Amino acid sequence: MEDRLLGTLRRLNRGVALLTGVVLMACALFVLADIVLRQMGSSFGGTDEISGYVMAIATSWGMAFTLLELGHVRIDLLRGRAGNLGRALFDLFAMLALTGTVTLIAYKCWPVVERSLANSSRANTPLETPLALVQIPWFAGWIWFALIAWLTFIAAALLVFKGRFEDAEAAIGCFGEDQGASS
Amino acid sequence: MILAIAVGLLGLLALSIPVGIVLFLLAFGVDQFFSFFPLIRGLGNLVWSTSNNATLIAIPFFVLVGEVLVRSGVATRTYAALDRWVSWLPGGLVHANVATATMFSATSGSSVATAATVATVAMPQAEKLGYDPRLFSGAIAAGGTLGIMIPPSINLIVYGFLTQTSIPQLFLAGLVPGIALALGFMAITAMICIFRPSLGGNRRSFPLPEMLRALLQLVPIMLLFTIIIGTIYQGWATPTEAAAVGVAGAILIAALFGGVSVGMFAESILGTVKITSMIMLVVIGASFLNFTLASAGLGSELQALLDGMGLSPMGLIFVVVLIYIVLGFFIETLSLMVVTIPIIVPLVVAQGFDPIWFGILMIVLIEMALITPPVGLNLYVVQGARKSGNMGEVMVGAIPYVIAMLIMVALLIAFPSIALYLPSVLSGS
Repeated sequence: MEDRLLGTLRRLNRGVALLTGVVLMACALFVLADIVLRQMGSSFGGTDEISGYVMAIATSWGMAFTLLELGHVRIDLLRGRAGNLGRALFDLFAMLALTGTVTLIAYKCWPVVERSLANSSRANTPLETPLALVQIPWFAGWIWFALIAWLTFIAAALLVFKGRFEDAEAAIGCFGEDQGASS
Repeated sequence: MILAIAVGLLGLLALSIPVGIVLFLLAFGVDQFFSFFPLIRGLGNLVWSTSNNATLIAIPFFVLVGEVLVRSGVATRTYAALDRWVSWLPGGLVHANVATATMFSATSGSSVATAATVATVAMPQAEKLGYDPRLFSGAIAAGGTLGIMIPPSINLIVYGFLTQTSIPQLFLAGLVPGIALALGFMAITAMICIFRPSLGGNRRSFPLPEMLRALLQLVPIMLLFTIIIGTIYQGWATPTEAAAVGVAGAILIAALFGGVSVGMFAESILGTVKITSMIMLVVIGASFLNFTLASAGLGSELQALLDGMGLSPMGLIFVVVLIYIVLGFFIETLSLMVVTIPIIVPLVVAQGFDPIWFGILMIVLIEMALITPPVGLNLYVVQGARKSGNMGEVMVGAIPYVIAMLIMVALLIAFPSIALYLPSVLSGS
């Protein structure tokens, strides 16, 4: 059951991540077009504002994919010296800390959206973007991250209880296939 | 408060909780124990305002540039081309390792991907041509660190964002020290191989026509770098816009010179989203921690601590450098940078140091963290790409380059204008 769950989560988030990346690329194109237009003395206007919204939404929706790809950096100092069970416990604890924190973040993001909805707030810019329009997808991304984190935690906990430490490590361990850290 | 934060930080990191989450947990702790107002109410707003940011979108764009160039095989071709040009030097291909890693990490954000690629292509050659595996792999690991210094650098974008420093100025400041370090790496390689020719493998030279043909392979990358940096300083584009230009340029180069396929694009996009979210979780956590620390009055407490220690400004810099070297053994680039910025940068700036200069100094120290054991990401990446030998060889091979970095640190402290000259000359425009 937990294998099927993890498989489904990975497939879903791969799709979400692809979509997120395509939106980012579209945004790059949009920015590019604006630079060209500007050289010809015209402009779409508001590329900065729109890039900001895209970044906020892309960030929140990419988080769960990174989680499942073991992309969120961790310091593997004590954990690396522990045995199979020890490593599994480190991983579960770290996963629980992450899940709890992300849930709190998502919960605390709601008032931001709520206020924009209640006041029908608009951005203080020429575009006058209704803020709820961009904040709802952003907020939904954090909810998605929290949800995926809980499901992954549960699946991994089941694997650990069954003594399948290697599979648990593949799901919530320290390093992904390529340790694609930044810089 | 300072002691509690330091202990909390190291403790939580040691538990191998994700670094971004550690920053949030610390911030919750500061809020709970050291603040009069419930700062957590600001959490939602802070998460929104940090990620809704047109400057930070340069991060995924630059990552994408690197992903496309590396995955389309352009990096491999560049390596072959550079081989034609530098293999007559004492140390031969080792210079190609440094140069390829430098060029790619310069155009992109992804030095780890670069190190991995160069290592995969180069390692089989090393055995064939009789190079010393230690020096050879150490050079790849070290060359891969230069990307966070030579613009466009994602780490400099993050530094600029968190310290409210001008990103174009930081880019300018990083240019000279970055290139100097690359040349320093090559000089040290040549010196080692002059004194110990057995380490350097066979030197080879190629006929001129072949060299010129190889040059053709290098032109697009050089051009892309010039365009990205050029558009920023011509005032045509912000760093974000230049990054968008870079994306288009990289795709064009990949289409003309490399292999483009749907699968390769999908992999590049997935890699980009993964790295971007990783960076952003850490950046948002750091912003929130910054906010809670400032609200809880960290500044005055740090000042009091400093006055109590009676350190001179130079003494402070010395202590800070030591802190980074020690932490660098255990903590990695971006994490090291982000967890220390909220505490160390205000301290240094309060002593009258230029935040741009300090940003560059910090970057050299963080580059060093990438290749110092026991935790040095680039060492692992290079070792991962090698088929034989042990980790110790890569570590030994990296030592000469760590020495070059230490010299750079000393030079930057003695002559701040190495970093500050270009920004001061060009910032008028």
